[in-house]
Amino acid sequence: MKNVIIISLLGVTAYYLLSAFVSIPFGEDFINGVKDFYLNKSPEDLKVANVVTSIVVNFRGFDTLGEVTVLFLASTALGSILYRRRSSHTALNPQRTAPQASTLVQAGAKVIFPFTVLLGAYVFIHGHLTPGGGFQGGAIIATGFLLMLISYRKFFVEHNVLTWIEALAGTSFVVIGLAGLVYADNHNFLENFLPAGELNDLLSGGIIGIIYIAVGFKVGAEITGILDTLLTIKEAGLDPEEN
Amino acid sequence: MTDPVYFIAIPLLTAFLLPLFGKIYKPLIGIIPGLVFAFTAYISFDLYFNLEPGKPVIVQMAGWAPPWGINLVFGEFSGLIVSLITFLAFLVWVYSYNFKKVGFDNSKKYFTLLMLMVAGSIGVVLTGDIFNMFVFLEITAISSYGLTAFYKGRDSAEAAFKFLLIGSLSSTFILLAILLLYKQTGTLNMAEIAIKSQAIDPKIKSIIAILFFVGFGIEAEMFPLNGWVPDAYSQAPGPVAASFASILAKSGIYALIRVFYTVLDVEGIFNLLLTAGLLTIIFAEFTAMRQTRLRRMLAYSSIGQMGLIMVAFSFNTKAGVFAGLFLMFNHAVIKTLLFLASGFLTYSTKQKKIRDLDGFGKIMPFTSLMFGLGAFAIVGLPPFSGFWGKLNMLTATADSNLYLVIALILVVAVVEIIYYFKVIGRLYFRERHEDVNIQKPTWNAVLAMSILALVIIGVGLYPDFITDYLAKATNELFDKAGYIKHVLPSLSLN
Repeated sequence: MKNVIIISLLGVTAYYLLSAFVSIPFGEDFINGVKDFYLNKSPEDLKVANVVTSIVVNFRGFDTLGEVTVLFLASTALGSILYRRRSSHTALNPQRTAPQASTLVQAGAKVIFPFTVLLGAYVFIHGHLTPGGGFQGGAIIATGFLLMLISYRKFFVEHNVLTWIEALAGTSFVVIGLAGLVYADNHNFLENFLPAGELNDLLSGGIIGIIYIAVGFKVGAEITGILDTLLTIKEAGLDPEEN
Repeated sequence: MTDPVYFIAIPLLTAFLLPLFGKIYKPLIGIIPGLVFAFTAYISFDLYFNLEPGKPVIVQMAGWAPPWGINLVFGEFSGLIVSLITFLAFLVWVYSYNFKKVGFDNSKKYFTLLMLMVAGSIGVVLTGDIFNMFVFLEITAISSYGLTAFYKGRDSAEAAFKFLLIGSLSSTFILLAILLLYKQTGTLNMAEIAIKSQAIDPKIKSIIAILFFVGFGIEAEMFPLNGWVPDAYSQAPGPVAASFASILAKSGIYALIRVFYTVLDVEGIFNLLLTAGLLTIIFAEFTAMRQTRLRRMLAYSSIGQMGLIMVAFSFNTKAGVFAGLFLMFNHAVIKTLLFLASGFLTYSTKQKKIRDLDGFGKIMPFTSLMFGLGAFAIVGLPPFSGFWGKLNMLTATADSNLYLVIALILVVAVVEIIYYFKVIGRLYFRERHEDVNIQKPTWNAVLAMSILALVIIGVGLYPDFITDYLAKATNELFDKAGYIKHVLPSLSLN
């Protein structure tokens, strides 16, 4: 009975949501709003070739600061939730019975790892020129670390280093924002105070590129930290002599 | 002139740097947050008292004028709430800064999460952009999940997980509503949406309204969306429960009323709010009466208070909003005192049951007195501030000719008296159990509770202290045209 009520309620909710969302035409031109302004201003004033980046880091940079904080929170809160299981729940440990990664995987991981990190760095350094940016680049770097973590059971990430990277990257985002209050023309938070440069140059877009590099470091460090927390907890019961 | 962005940027900066401070010198992780809370409280009061009448301080992020950029609005309404939040956050810090029992790692997490919860709540209140509000609501919500799971027991993990599920539902609904709104208006700026919302298809508008209503209702502890409240409040540490009541719930109700008073004009939404508020009161107060654990009782009482606040805002009259703001102020101050006092009362009892507190009036005189004072104030006895809130509420209800609601409020007041006096009776008129351990309140906790008690008595004796500010905030909330004019000066010319 309870299930019937729940399903019918869900059905009603789904019907109304669907009826609202089918009204959004797919692929057609959107109604006039803020988009044209963004499309024109990004190359002209900000000298940023990638409009998505200029929206994410400049027009709505304050949201991005919030999103970076959400990720920071997720890693902090995850650490506080998973903490205790290190000692007491080793019975639930799937890694313990998992076979050792094969030599092929181990050798391959070693080769691929530096290139993955390099690609990630490339993606976030060129965030204002080509598709991608700090979040994508950081995620790519974290994948590299994940590859190492699952290939080598003795590969550990130094949490101290991660903490420093996280803290310094987050701080530089806020400090660059606050510097805008002092040095920029209109004294606004996150306003550009560096020369905009030439469109399509690596050194263009003023503070946008710098912020995206900070975001890249922060995202990479945080996702790596989260992955390491998850894997280390599961491996906590391992005998140190094994492997 | 203080830039309102400091209220958000400085706590965020501190939260990022806190792990590093801990590496330099361990006690810094307790001291730095206090300095930051004191500083934000100081600058918010300074800015609030120096506001030019009817002229909110508006700043633009990255120098783009709204609607292209994000803007913050520090007006008489949002400024009042921000000042209240920063003041209470400071007191929560005073109460909890030397939490010795939990160790270094845990207190680092505690202060980081508390700092971010405060920053997020301030962001929700200050922002003039609907998507930015969503982002800050996420920050507030995720830090609350982490704080709920602070004690690493089974129960607190369950409470946090429940909170996480319901909270994610809330976020999803709000995001869907924002998506639909953006499709309809092509903008995310709240003032511009307010102008363009007349043109939205009424059917889609009501779907948007329902999504917002449910999404914010979860944060504002609305029945039947408040399943997370009793668990989260009773499992989280005392100061965290206090900050949930005074900070988290306040930002939820702020978002709800800001959206429905300023951004969206929806037919019938206030009747829905009235119904939801009344159901919340009835459900919460009668459940509170049956609770045997102190924290759960306070949690249900908190839900009841939030219901009363919703009813006050649902009248859509100036008297109603004024009463609602007064109740918000009371709930924030008094509930904080009650949770802080209950933290020490139940400190060394295993079960945290009310009957464990027999005779505590003699062995913990100060904490019991503070709890008693809070209980007298929250049920609305003179000469405490709670009395004026309830009185204004009753006159506002009478102005709206809702006599049944008056009867209900009075009945509920009696129910409140029953369950609060039950606790006071045990504290003062029972013999103590033989084997009780007590935890003497630390001097900083005494200080925090005394300040709250003084505020409650001070406002109770001289309500004029705050009525001016509440009246100004009420006027600002109703002045929708003024809000739009200040945020978008170019659009109001035509």
